[in-house]
Amino acid sequence: MGTLELDGVTKVFPDGDGEIVAVDDVDIEMRDGEFLVVVGPSGCGKSTTLRMVAGLETISSGEIRLAGQRVNEVKPQHRDIAMVFQSYALYPHMTVEENMAFGLEEPTDLSDGEIETRVADAAETMGIAELLDRKPADLSGGQRQRVALGRAIVRDPEVFLMDEPLSNLDAKLRSELRTELQRLQDELDVTTMYVTHDQTEAMTMGDRIAILNAGELQQVATPLECYHEPANRFVAGFIGDPSMNFFPVERDGETLVGDMFDYPLSGSTLDDVGDVTDLTLGVRPEDISLAGDSAGDHTFSTVVEVVEPMGDENTVYLRFADAPEGETFIATVGGLQQVSAGDEITVEIPEETIHLFDGTSGEAVHNREIDE
Amino acid sequence: MTRNTDTGDDSGDAVTDGGVAEDGQRSGFSPVAALNERFGSDFVESSQFWLPPFLLVGLFVYGAIIWNLLISLTDFTGFGTPDYSDLDLQMYSRALADSGFVDAAINTFILLVGFTLVTLALGLGLAILIDRNIRFENTFRTIYLLPMSLSFVVTAQFWAWMFNFNNGVINIVITSLGLGRVDWIGNPDIVLWAVMFALMWQFAGYAMVVFLAGLRAIPNEHYEAAKVDGASTVRMYWRVIIPQLKGSTISASVVLMVFALKAFDFLYSLVGGYRPPNGADILATKMVREAYANLNWAYASAVAITLFVMTLGIVGPYLYYQYNRGNL
Repeated sequence: MGTLELDGVTKVFPDGDGEIVAVDDVDIEMRDGEFLVVVGPSGCGKSTTLRMVAGLETISSGEIRLAGQRVNEVKPQHRDIAMVFQSYALYPHMTVEENMAFGLEEPTDLSDGEIETRVADAAETMGIAELLDRKPADLSGGQRQRVALGRAIVRDPEVFLMDEPLSNLDAKLRSELRTELQRLQDELDVTTMYVTHDQTEAMTMGDRIAILNAGELQQVATPLECYHEPANRFVAGFIGDPSMNFFPVERDGETLVGDMFDYPLSGSTLDDVGDVTDLTLGVRPEDISLAGDSAGDHTFSTVVEVVEPMGDENTVYLRFADAPEGETFIATVGGLQQVSAGDEITVEIPEETIHLFDGTSGEAVHNREIDE
Repeated sequence: MTRNTDTGDDSGDAVTDGGVAEDGQRSGFSPVAALNERFGSDFVESSQFWLPPFLLVGLFVYGAIIWNLLISLTDFTGFGTPDYSDLDLQMYSRALADSGFVDAAINTFILLVGFTLVTLALGLGLAILIDRNIRFENTFRTIYLLPMSLSFVVTAQFWAWMFNFNNGVINIVITSLGLGRVDWIGNPDIVLWAVMFALMWQFAGYAMVVFLAGLRAIPNEHYEAAKVDGASTVRMYWRVIIPQLKGSTISASVVLMVFALKAFDFLYSLVGGYRPPNGADILATKMVREAYANLNWAYASAVAITLFVMTLGIVGPYLYYQYNRGNL
């Protein structure tokens, strides 16, 4: 079956006299039919990881197993995979039909009739049946993308590899195809590894997300786990838009002391923290709420610097009342709440929503509570 | 520049060309306006820039071709002036009956097709090898391209040594392998192929550079997609990469064919005279020999026109192809 395992996979590029570690000891196990999104900032090694699975890059150390078989030494043409490229990589001298048939003609000895049937089926699935006679140059971006996907699904491989397939499309088309891809993957139930730098795609599409930074795997978990229980500060900041707010704090007894505020902690949170004193306090913008006039341990008076109305909600840039200008953090409040620049408002950062990270290592020591 | 003179009675100055044209229609014919309207707004005004070279090229290139055509229709030989009163196609029928001409035409054709195909294939092979991220890529590229920068005179002398019956490098190598000497230049059945080989040596580098540029224009993803699609390296080049080199192939072959027709320089330098080795006579050498050795001016002109038509037959379709793609 289409399981895919990466076991201690490392990629080292020589660079002059030294070397650059692009992918560092990555372990991922994908079960059959799983949709895994690999996400990270540019240069984090996510594409290199995908290309190693495809066989387009050699593996410096570690092992990749496809359906239980080690494939390190297997050439790309003999791995049972199909890949969708960011640039689509359609062959310009072939028609759509020839493009799609190519991946069946080369490695297999299917009869012409069989190939034709399978191409027609795949074209039907992708809604490109009427484009079969055209050349790629005569297609729009969205159509090309569909052809590229069609070319992959017609091969009926063990694993789909997709390298930022939607990033050349405009926003509307992208969200359309995002949904369609999910539906397609669900229908075909083929193990899929999907690389993107777009955290929206990561959150919405995948069964699980693998987050990479600087070649190192940060966390592999479901989208909601990554969102609510990030393994470290990097994941917390990368997933979510606008990003989580971070405040460097020192623990002084039962209180977190920041530059501009003190934040008392309750017993259960303190148990998580243990004896770490150098901490980072994280809170998501949507967890910061307007407190009105009520005052408590976790309310702070702030000044509104900028308001960005998004319609359904407002993104509000706040600073603590006595903080210098420009040192802001972000809160999102309902779109109907009247907030304007210059207002002095009191906000609450509820204790059940805060995350605490080790100030030096960035590891999460405490994550927010989730109502089960 | 003089502007249109018909606009004197108009209330406003005719500034735009549309206005001038209307005036022209109302108050009689204006050649300037008519020309401008036919060929674009600055046709007459810009003529001082393009007209002189236009006339010079017209006179010395196209005029000369037409004059040559006229001479080929006369019976002009020896000293004196041609007689244009009696024009006929006698020289062309003489050419068809002349076995020397027919042989030269066949040799020209063999050289044209054989040299072009072999050079293209070799150039493509070299380009593919060089494109595979080899070490010292630039050095190899320069080495392969170097012969192209040499003059035909130099390469002809060089290959005359190489092919020398008694102490040429090739025969020395062959005899050391225990084979008999081959008379590369003297044997009429072999000489044309020897010449073709020498020309191929000189121009394979050019074909390589053209193909290399074409290969570099193909995105890496096409190679990768083909591999992932299950194609072996050979099949990948054959089905995905080489078909995309159509443009490079066409432009390289046109240039190579024109070089093949110009092989006169090479043959002339090889023997140092108008009489190429037996079996290697081509239309260009035949033409020059008839004209300057035998003073058969009209006959040589007829050969020249034949050669001209062949060239046109090669370049014409290429220009038409480029025109259709919007490159001209």
